[in-house]
Amino acid sequence: MKQIFTLCLIFFSLGHVFAQRLVKGKIIDANDQQPLAGATIKIVHSVKATTTNKEGSFSIQVQSDTTTLEVSFVGYHLKKVRASNFIAIPILSLSPSANKLSEVVVSTGYQILPRERSTGSFTQVGNKVLNEQVSTDILSRLEGVANGVSVDRSTSGSVNRISVRGLSTIQGPKDPLVVVDNFIYDGDITNINPNDVESITILKDAAAASIWGARAGNGVIVITTKKAKFNQPVTVDFNANVSFSGKPDLSYIRQMSSADFIDVEQYLFKQGFYDNALTDPGMPPLTPVVELLSREANGQISAASANAQINALKKVDVRNDFNKYIYQTATTQQYALSLKGGSEKSSWLASTGYDKDISNLAAGYNRFNLRFQNTYRPVRNLSLTAGMYFTQSNNASGKPGYGQIFSENPSGFYPYMQLADAKGNPLPIVKDYEFNYAKTTGNGLLENWLYYPLEDYKHTPATSSNTDMTANFDAAYKIIKGLSADVKYQYERQSTDGRNLYDQDSYFARNYVNEYTQIDSDGNVTNVIPKGGILDLSNQVLTSQQLRGQLNFDQTWKRSNLSAIAGAEIRNATINSNVNRLYGYNAGLSTFQNVDYTNQYPNYVNGNYDFIPGNTDVDKQQTRYVSEFANVAYTYNSKYTVSLSGRRDASNLFGVNINNDWNPFWSAGTSWNISDEPFYKIDFLPYLKLRATYGSSGNIDPGMVAATTIAYAGTNPFTQTQYARFQNYYNPDLKWETSKMLNIGLDFRSKSNRISGSIEYYQKKGSGLFGTAILDYTGGIGSQVIKNVASMTGNGADVELHTQNLMGVFKWLTTLNFSIYHDRVTQYYLPSLQGSYFITPNNNVTVSGLVGKPVYSIFAYKSAGLDPQTGDPRGYLDGQISEDYTALTGTGTQVGDLKYFGSALPTQFGSFINNFSYMDFGLDVGIVYKLGYYFRRNSINYSNLFEYWQGDPDYAKRWQKPGDELKTNVPSMVYPENNNRDSFYAGSETLVDKADNIRLQFVNLSYDFTRFLKKNPSIKMLQLYFNASNLGLIWAANKDHIDPDYYNSLYSTKPPKTYAIGVRASF
Amino acid sequence: MKSQIINNRGIHILIILIVMLSSSCKKYLDAKSDQKLEIPTNLNDLQALMDNYATINFVYPAAGEVSSDDYYLKDADYSALFYNADKRMYTWQKNYIFNTGASGNDWESTYNAIYYANTILENIRSIARSPENAAQWDNVKGEALFLRGYQFLGALQIWSQAYDEKIAGTDLGIPLRLNTDFNQKSVRASVNDSYNQVITDLRSAIPLLPSIPLNAFRPGKQAAYAILARTYLCMRNYQLAGIYADSSLLVNNQLIDYNTLNPSAAYPIPNLSTEMIFYSVLNSVKPIYFKLAKIDSNLYRSYADNDLRKTIFFKDDLDGTFSFKGSYTAAFYQAAGPATDEMYLIRAEAYARAGDVSNCFKYLNTLLINRYKTGTFTALKAPDASSALNLVLLERRKELVMRGLRWADIKRLNKEGAEIGLNRTVLGVNYALPANDPRFALSIPEDVIALSGMQQNP
Repeated sequence: MKQIFTLCLIFFSLGHVFAQRLVKGKIIDANDQQPLAGATIKIVHSVKATTTNKEGSFSIQVQSDTTTLEVSFVGYHLKKVRASNFIAIPILSLSPSANKLSEVVVSTGYQILPRERSTGSFTQVGNKVLNEQVSTDILSRLEGVANGVSVDRSTSGSVNRISVRGLSTIQGPKDPLVVVDNFIYDGDITNINPNDVESITILKDAAAASIWGARAGNGVIVITTKKAKFNQPVTVDFNANVSFSGKPDLSYIRQMSSADFIDVEQYLFKQGFYDNALTDPGMPPLTPVVELLSREANGQISAASANAQINALKKVDVRNDFNKYIYQTATTQQYALSLKGGSEKSSWLASTGYDKDISNLAAGYNRFNLRFQNTYRPVRNLSLTAGMYFTQSNNASGKPGYGQIFSENPSGFYPYMQLADAKGNPLPIVKDYEFNYAKTTGNGLLENWLYYPLEDYKHTPATSSNTDMTANFDAAYKIIKGLSADVKYQYERQSTDGRNLYDQDSYFARNYVNEYTQIDSDGNVTNVIPKGGILDLSNQVLTSQQLRGQLNFDQTWKRSNLSAIAGAEIRNATINSNVNRLYGYNAGLSTFQNVDYTNQYPNYVNGNYDFIPGNTDVDKQQTRYVSEFANVAYTYNSKYTVSLSGRRDASNLFGVNINNDWNPFWSAGTSWNISDEPFYKIDFLPYLKLRATYGSSGNIDPGMVAATTIAYAGTNPFTQTQYARFQNYYNPDLKWETSKMLNIGLDFRSKSNRISGSIEYYQKKGSGLFGTAILDYTGGIGSQVIKNVASMTGNGADVELHTQNLMGVFKWLTTLNFSIYHDRVTQYYLPSLQGSYFITPNNNVTVSGLVGKPVYSIFAYKSAGLDPQTGDPRGYLDGQISEDYTALTGTGTQVGDLKYFGSALPTQFGSFINNFSYMDFGLDVGIVYKLGYYFRRNSINYSNLFEYWQGDPDYAKRWQKPGDELKTNVPSMVYPENNNRDSFYAGSETLVDKADNIRLQFVNLSYDFTRFLKKNPSIKMLQLYFNASNLGLIWAANKDHIDPDYYNSLYSTKPPKTYAIGVRASF
Repeated sequence: MKSQIINNRGIHILIILIVMLSSSCKKYLDAKSDQKLEIPTNLNDLQALMDNYATINFVYPAAGEVSSDDYYLKDADYSALFYNADKRMYTWQKNYIFNTGASGNDWESTYNAIYYANTILENIRSIARSPENAAQWDNVKGEALFLRGYQFLGALQIWSQAYDEKIAGTDLGIPLRLNTDFNQKSVRASVNDSYNQVITDLRSAIPLLPSIPLNAFRPGKQAAYAILARTYLCMRNYQLAGIYADSSLLVNNQLIDYNTLNPSAAYPIPNLSTEMIFYSVLNSVKPIYFKLAKIDSNLYRSYADNDLRKTIFFKDDLDGTFSFKGSYTAAFYQAAGPATDEMYLIRAEAYARAGDVSNCFKYLNTLLINRYKTGTFTALKAPDASSALNLVLLERRKELVMRGLRWADIKRLNKEGAEIGLNRTVLGVNYALPANDPRFALSIPEDVIALSGMQQNP
């Protein structure tokens, strides 16, 4: 006995003698046996860790053989092994836990969740995918690569709005919430350099998003910036690229031919349409052709001369001049450099970026970013992080594009406008007043009154600069095992300065000076608006502060895991803004002159008394929020997870009373790892997880208040007192909108990850939504008022599929994103069902609100073709063919009499991305598709043509003689104009087309030189890439060559193809 | 065991945090979200609403002027009218003569102005009137009452038949909005009740309004008197009309001597002249736009050669037609507000109808001497009251051309048997509006009828 005891003692002491031991090993990938460089080997319960080198090897000092080591690497299952394992077998393989292209963790902005244990619906866009496109801003890279996300360009007020799973509201704000790291980002999102972004997580369902409460109804986009790691050697990353895009194709614009336009003018002249304008003492502008016809009628020029000049003008197409003198190749340069490193106690990252864009119209944009981030672990359980993000961006105006050069009254332009003569000298065009009048009036006492478009922009530089500084601090303390607390603070200050100069040679300034010039009977001249330039200045400063305190709990027991967070946050955002105008401005001397804003002066041309227009204002806005939130997830047996989250928000927005309206947002979810069950025998799907969530989030519009409010609008120039107008009308029940969503998802992976992905089905209900009620305007507040009277439902499915088709030397991977989306209005107060309310002009679709139909629907008047005798468009009134346009566009047509086409937003959309690689070459091809929707196209409107010079090439297809009605749907031209007839045609079913299209979004070709640099240990990665984007449509359903994404104004152009070449390197 | 206590402590901390937050929340959340927003509860706010000149001074229904015979349109200009509703109103169609509410029409702007007045009248009840704020308190309330009465009167002239004592109790008037509840259903009151409301509002305004307001953009006592004179004139209560015209003239009876004006100026009559009692202009609608509206040639011929109004009011367009440049606003806006010359004419008419010929001419001649070339005017006279009345009405026609008053005059004079009918020929088609035709009460915008269920004019 005693001997055995002594032996044990000796062995133990021997063990102690050999206590400090160096362990060496190698970590490899279980599938392809390749070494994993950069894997982390950490001693549990200590901060001691190391990483593997390029060969996958490591060495670490351990206390004893029994010390447990934790081996981890992103994209692989964590392994915990005893040190003694390495002594026995020095090689350890890690098996991949998911497709390498996706991340193992998701970031919600409040916590980082392991995907395995999450119940919510998240879309991850990783770094590699983000780098397949080269835009200057980050959000535009999401289109076409993020599952469930589409970009809306066709509804009223959309302007490239990102949409996550379609709509959750009808009248409320539709933008998703954008979060950068942990906080809502208040600044301009284009300030963020895409090279600073590590990944983007999109929170799509209630379990994911309800943690954000009243702002999350439209989904949340969480941008995670790059961070440094501990125990990492210093790395330098570099990215530089240059892009070019040619001039836009102006033949895409629907412009009426000059010959046709002039024919119309000649016809109108004979009818006397211009008689009034020709004798109008107000000297309204007339086109050159009308001037020629008038001079011919007065005998000032011969008929032959007039005809010769007019025929010459028929051959002019202003687009040629735009192409020659205005548009140019656009270039973009992007440079980014980052350094990061980390020791045991601290990690740091510094990055800088510079972007410079020159647009097709020579408008300039440049942006400089600087970023620092430092995490310090002074003692074992405390970690302090400080970061700063600085952006300076500047905008400068360029040349006026198509549609921005026009005559003022009636604000149209004629297609035979000439910007320069044959030698290239700039020509003047008629602007506010009749040309000869502007040229000669005043006998030299006035400023030159001519407008030279090719010169004028040089005298109206508009610049703005944006300085954005964000600083954040984070202290995290581990209280005991499993429980930690952290406090986060972010301060942001963004200042935007605008400066619009109209110098003394600009038409804008000269026109104002002339209009207010007083010349008395003796010829004495008084310039009430002083000669010189006009300077408009604006400034806006946004400051926001956010403070959050949070407790985190994460404890794993033998069979279960409980993780929870709880906390509170407070947020304050203030915007101070002011604008000012200076007259008589001399840029060289920085001087200006005072003007008299209190008296009215007669206009030089028409004698009307008017005040000098002022542009001075000051304003301040402040929003405050206080919130409390909590989130808990319990996993049993690594198979069953239940999650709950809740949040309460209160705000200072008028009417949102803290006592009345604590609007709690909550969610509940569950997930089940079916593949871990003993009864699960499906071999080809080794991973299958079912999850379901249900919860609510909200939507708040800062403009909605539940009280009648007035806004001070300025100074009454007649009484010199402040005047006010109504801003909102008292509606006692006005409150936040609520959106509830049910989400059911299935995640799966096949053997060796050949096929992986997820299928989700969701159903959402928006209730208490803001809806426009059409009102009897005898009530005095106008014909519309907003109430919480609306509700809608939406449902759809998101499918995300990743396949590894070929995995040999030639690799081919495919990602397919497919989404189905349908929405339907279920309640919307519409006392009038008159058809014309549901017909909205071409691509500026407004909410239809018809119960049972999509929120944005396309309706049209039923058409009975054209009248065989007159070419008049025909509709149906009470089932009979009718040409009573007043009734057809008025109360004679109810919405039930209209033809319903479908949704104005795509009902099926997604992307199809293929990645090919062979040796060191890589090729990524992205295709985006939008299907199942409609749009209304523009056509000739005779009233607009006569009054506003707005033509359309369909004019050439119009009905002209009996028999044409069999070949065309374009009505005949009639005089006098009948705007009800034009409205009827504009809204008829012949002008509605399918908007379905398939687009080639990007092509990215890369060559990796890393293999050749193995000899040079300092260069870790070197890649050359070539990128092409805006490549246009592969297919479109409409036969009119219209790209439905670029068709929302009369003068829309398509973005030209862009090509970029760049290099990426890591040292 | 240990972890349990820690957990409990953690929860306690959380609870304390939440409680602290909730209690300090309220004050933090009381900050205004937009500095410029206010709930209108104090006098400055209410006065600021009443100084919203776009609503107070630039709103008055123009449909009556469009429908009357002060002017006509050339065929080409008629054809060039953009809105079909304008064309229909010009040719006295039965319906669809107003654009829908969303585009803006007379009904919408009138009731919008009435909403402003009602907001003041409701909110001022909760503001105590004290010696310090008395002047402002009275002024604001007076302005609101004046505005409401004035707008109700304007609406009555357009959408109701002229006042007829016998049937005023059943004739359809206008909806009388007296509060800000926009959800309340609109109901047409009788003509009688409508006029009573106008009179009540204006009379209540008189003691509250200042004798001399800041300027003509704000109503004073004189404006209230003047509009009451107009109201009683429309009701053909000539005695009361005369009394109120007299009250107005007692405040200020100064006239502009047209000899001092320059007829070749674009707008010879200056803005805010001594004759202007309250600045109010008709809604801008295309048919009466100064460039298009041509003065009726018969009317033009009725001015004598020495009558300065011929050259001050009218511009020779050199093609045989004449347009109007005599606006009291020295701009292309059509003046609709009360003026001193109008008061003289009402006073004279009241005397004529009462049989007092000498006083009638006292006022008429005082006005006219300022309208003729110096030294060329011979005082008017007439043998009896009935011819005196005819002279007054003729001068009224010549003086108050393009002032938004002709429509109401035609309607009330027809109730006395004047048989004034209107005729227009457009593009070769003749349109007629016979005297006392039901269309003299214009149709209410169809969308209002559809939404409110009110009775449409026959």
